[in-house]
Amino acid sequence: MAVEMRLPAALKHICVKTSKSHREEKHLVVPGDVITSDTGFMRGHGTYMDEDRLTASVAGEVERVNKLICVKPLKTRYNGEVGDVVVGRITEVQQKRWKVETNSRLDSLLLLSSVNLPGGELRRRSTQDELAMRDYLQEGDLISAEVQSIFSDGALSLHTRSLKYGKLGQGVLVSVSPSLVKRQKTHFHNLTCGASVILGNNGLIWISPTATREEEEGGGGFHTSLEPVSLSDREVVSRLRNCLLALATHKVSLYDTSLLYCYESSLSHQIKDLMKPEVMEEIVLATRQRLVEHEG
Amino acid sequence: MRDTPLSNCERLFLLQAIQEKKRLDGRQTYDYRNIKILFGTDYGCCIVELGKTRVLCQVSCELVPPKDSRPTEGILYFNLELSPMASPAFESNRQSELLVMLNRQLERCLRNSKCIDTESLCVISGEKVWQIRVDVHVLNHDGNLMDAASIAAISALSHFRRPDVAIQGREVTVFSPEERDPIPLSIYHMPICVSFAFFLQGSYLLVDPCEREERVKDGLLVIAMNKHREICSIQSSGGIMLLKDQVKPVEMLLLVEGEHENHSSERIKPFPVLLCFSSFVLMQRKEGGKFGFAESLPIERITALKRDEAPVEMADVKDTAEEIINRTESSTEVYPPGLKTRERSAASPVLVATGTAQVGEGIVNSWGLEEDEDDEVIIEDKGGGNPRRLQNKGELELSLWLYFRLLYHTVRLHLFSLVRPGKLQDSEDLMQCLTPRVYLDDLEEGAGHTEEALMVLLAGSTSMMASSSGISSSISLQLVMSFVDF
Repeated sequence: MAVEMRLPAALKHICVKTSKSHREEKHLVVPGDVITSDTGFMRGHGTYMDEDRLTASVAGEVERVNKLICVKPLKTRYNGEVGDVVVGRITEVQQKRWKVETNSRLDSLLLLSSVNLPGGELRRRSTQDELAMRDYLQEGDLISAEVQSIFSDGALSLHTRSLKYGKLGQGVLVSVSPSLVKRQKTHFHNLTCGASVILGNNGLIWISPTATREEEEGGGGFHTSLEPVSLSDREVVSRLRNCLLALATHKVSLYDTSLLYCYESSLSHQIKDLMKPEVMEEIVLATRQRLVEHEG
Repeated sequence: MRDTPLSNCERLFLLQAIQEKKRLDGRQTYDYRNIKILFGTDYGCCIVELGKTRVLCQVSCELVPPKDSRPTEGILYFNLELSPMASPAFESNRQSELLVMLNRQLERCLRNSKCIDTESLCVISGEKVWQIRVDVHVLNHDGNLMDAASIAAISALSHFRRPDVAIQGREVTVFSPEERDPIPLSIYHMPICVSFAFFLQGSYLLVDPCEREERVKDGLLVIAMNKHREICSIQSSGGIMLLKDQVKPVEMLLLVEGEHENHSSERIKPFPVLLCFSSFVLMQRKEGGKFGFAESLPIERITALKRDEAPVEMADVKDTAEEIINRTESSTEVYPPGLKTRERSAASPVLVATGTAQVGEGIVNSWGLEEDEDDEVIIEDKGGGNPRRLQNKGELELSLWLYFRLLYHTVRLHLFSLVRPGKLQDSEDLMQCLTPRVYLDDLEEGAGHTEEALMVLLAGSTSMMASSSGISSSISLQLVMSFVDF
């Protein structure tokens, strides 16, 4: 059996100059950079006052809204907003709630009152429900949920009060930086290639084969099908996962269109070849090209 | 910060692999990872590397008044710290269960077993005694901290030297190391902890679990033992109920000494070997060579290779390509299998692209070694020796030869008499393997035997150790290789 070995090489970042999308150069700063010496501005997140000069405390892009200056960091933990869709993993089962790990500074909370009971009934949660919590969600389970509110300490409160949220079944989880996931109207996509994708705002992305069956009886999203997935579906899911990683490595904004274009560009290569740096570069370049044409 | 939780897939995978008797790093059920013990410039400073787990231990001493209940005994103080650099899950100044468990086990292993003679630490009864302080810092957590910590602690204690004192009446004079040589501690025996991790309700057992395996374990059994086959402490944690007939095989594992010597007890034996290696290092220090941490800090191997792009003239590439194609003749004949691989690769269908190399059947190893042929021939041909083909490497031979002689003369006393304390015939065989009488006589004939000698040495030592355990052989190999590296 022949084995291929390659020496690690420095990653080259592709710079595709898109003159139309950038009206002005992005103002990028590193911690310690002076943003302005003008005292008329209010300081926002990511800045601090250093002897009358507004200085950045994180590495990122400077955003200015009227008189407010803040720095949006390029690499950060997920900062939740109300209404975001997140994919998380249950870490603890507590008395009336679950602790969910969502790649943020604090573990998020999923209260028992914020989940749908199996059977879809609407009633007050009883002690029976409390004792049966572990039957619904255990440690290690993956869920998709929406941010309902934010506690005073910054922890997120999640809810799964819709049929599209709930426990996730068979699929692949990809972890990328939260800043790469573009904010859109919907984060649940059924791609034409035959897979469904949930682009969590917290950087955790879930790829699964499209469920062709009708909704399960009772709903509530707690029943996950364990039927074997066909080979063709698995191949689509693997290819998508490799494409996602390629896009993430080259810091391309992730949304359904970019993912689809990347998938189409990658069809000429074998799935396992998509892990090679030069192939990744090739398909990302092709994707970027198409995106520019699409917008321009 | 809490560690990222283990996904269900990974957990299932690990448990399934254990059921099929497979481990992530390819070890067997009772195999230990490579142990490296290194000593620093100060007495009592020791770093132990158990695979990727790194633990640092420092021993220091101080004159203090003794405890009221024990006026004639010295004081032993143990302190283990989980440094945040070891794992993101460790926070400084946080009292976690793991920390308490490790501290307690370390104390039990070293203090309750009475391995150090505390009476000898007394200077003036009731007034002044030596307090020996053992500080263990965990530098990297890749599983099995207990074993690494116990090895580090006992090595550091053996390495440590306390200052000499002179008592005149009630006056105590402490001499500095320059005035009088410091005195080693009196150690009766060396207890070392061995950890066994249980999985799937005690039905599967692994020795020396790595970090991933530790995450999915059900229970842990730590047994502290010494060379004399005495059990110093047993601790079972994790809530797994171990029946007596489950613990017994484990004990038997430790105590059995047969033809196929088990790995745990074998681990105890090479340990004194390594300690003698350490004393060798100390002797070496006087000769002014590089030793200790300076040479042991991991030398970063090549981890990144940056290649700049070279511009290529693309103007008339089509024409040049066609020319080249037309010039070469197509070779369609089939090469007989008896030919050497070098010749065969000329018409190989596999192209070696730049930056990649291919290793496998029928494909030449293209990592750029010039001495492929020489190596092959050496291994086949131990007895004879063909001096002509190695003449062009004169300098290398000479230096290797000198090293080899130094090796032989300085090491034989320290190393080999301790390898098999009870089995003289084995050590004699080993000596025979290594006796370079043949080579000494043939020095004039041709120094071409040097490489063979080295190969035989390695082959000999590995075969001797290979009958017992994988660990010993790797340790011996390490020893030999590190000698050569001097």
